[in-house]
Amino acid sequence: MSSTRPELPREFVAGHKRRRMMDAVAELTAEQGYEATKIADIVRRAAVARKTLYDNFDGKEDLFLSAIDSTTTEMRVVVEAACDYGGGDPEGSIVAGLEALLDFIAEHPAAARMCMVEAISATPGSARLYDAAVHEFVEILQKSAPEGADLPETIEESLVGGVAWILQLQIRKGEAENAPELLPELSQFVLSPYLGVGKVVNTGRRK
Amino acid sequence: MDSDGGMERLPRGRHGLSPEFVAQNQRQRLINGLTQGLYEVGYQKTTVSLIGQRAAVSKSDFYKHFESKDDCFVAAYDAAIERIRGQLIVACTEVEGQEWPQRVRAAIERLLDLFVAEPALASIALVEGLRAGRGVYDRYQLAIESFVDLLKRSEPPLIEGAEMPEATDEAIVGGLASMLGRRVLAGETEQMTDLFPEILEFVLAAYVGAEEARRIVSSG
Repeated sequence: MSSTRPELPREFVAGHKRRRMMDAVAELTAEQGYEATKIADIVRRAAVARKTLYDNFDGKEDLFLSAIDSTTTEMRVVVEAACDYGGGDPEGSIVAGLEALLDFIAEHPAAARMCMVEAISATPGSARLYDAAVHEFVEILQKSAPEGADLPETIEESLVGGVAWILQLQIRKGEAENAPELLPELSQFVLSPYLGVGKVVNTGRRK
Repeated sequence: MDSDGGMERLPRGRHGLSPEFVAQNQRQRLINGLTQGLYEVGYQKTTVSLIGQRAAVSKSDFYKHFESKDDCFVAAYDAAIERIRGQLIVACTEVEGQEWPQRVRAAIERLLDLFVAEPALASIALVEGLRAGRGVYDRYQLAIESFVDLLKRSEPPLIEGAEMPEATDEAIVGGLASMLGRRVLAGETEQMTDLFPEILEFVLAAYVGAEEARRIVSSG
């Protein structure tokens, strides 16, 4: 056995550092808000040199926006995949998508708080990212919806906005990890306009 | 809070108005000035001088009423929510004695009319309050909750066998607020009344079912 540290590929190390800085900004903004989070806090938390931060990002806001963008993309990919493979029918598909979203929030409470709570009021750029993400989730819902349901787009926006609102309350209460418990209520809320009240049955948590 | 900033400037010199009245009038004009400025040029550019100018109140008088622009903003936000709530209560009272769906109809109609008539009010209540951070998020949350109470003030009739999960009312009100906020951001406040039938159907459907909701909406 060699006693020297194994050489990791340069790109791997660089990518890993980028990830660490994005995780650090998520944690710090979740803990103390965007405004109070300083570059010094971020580099300390991520254990990188200040120069590394500026080599990778234009500054605090650029890093913050990149982190939001990266997390919302991941969230969208996870939810979209769940919708595509879940159940095979629109009802199962929407429930599977919601379940994936709730699990993601429970597993990444800081990142979720950054994207769904902090982003709205931190900077105009982050607010735009939030709005764009809402729009993307409206599109996922439309794609998964029962054929011929033909709900007006404003209603689908209200459904996505309503789910976001309930999750924001949950995150702000500091209970992101219990988000999966909301699955039955949120499933019924989202499915009712499509299927009618009292007809939504398949909302149990899938094993 | 109409487009010219609302309240009239009071006459100069001796007018026999009580100091309390003058102060209250000034305060209200400042709140209107901020609300209107916010709508037209955004938070950054709505400076204390601009608010003072619009309200015809001197800068030093501004600071007799508010500690800072943020302080004035919070007061303006509260005033906006109070105004909306007041209008909804009036609308519901006008159709007192009628069925629950009729009261919901009256309230939604009034809400949309109000936003169309006063886009600056729609903007501060639906968009700026959330975006500003500055401690207003909690107020936004309280406002949503108070509108949930309003919706449930009289027991909505549920269809047989249906159970209303706890989060549904909040999701409806929070979801509508979010959707209407997006219309404001898209510069479509003026067209909000066009959304009346679909919004009414959305709110009613959660309680009485999609078919019954459609029937009520189309029965006018």
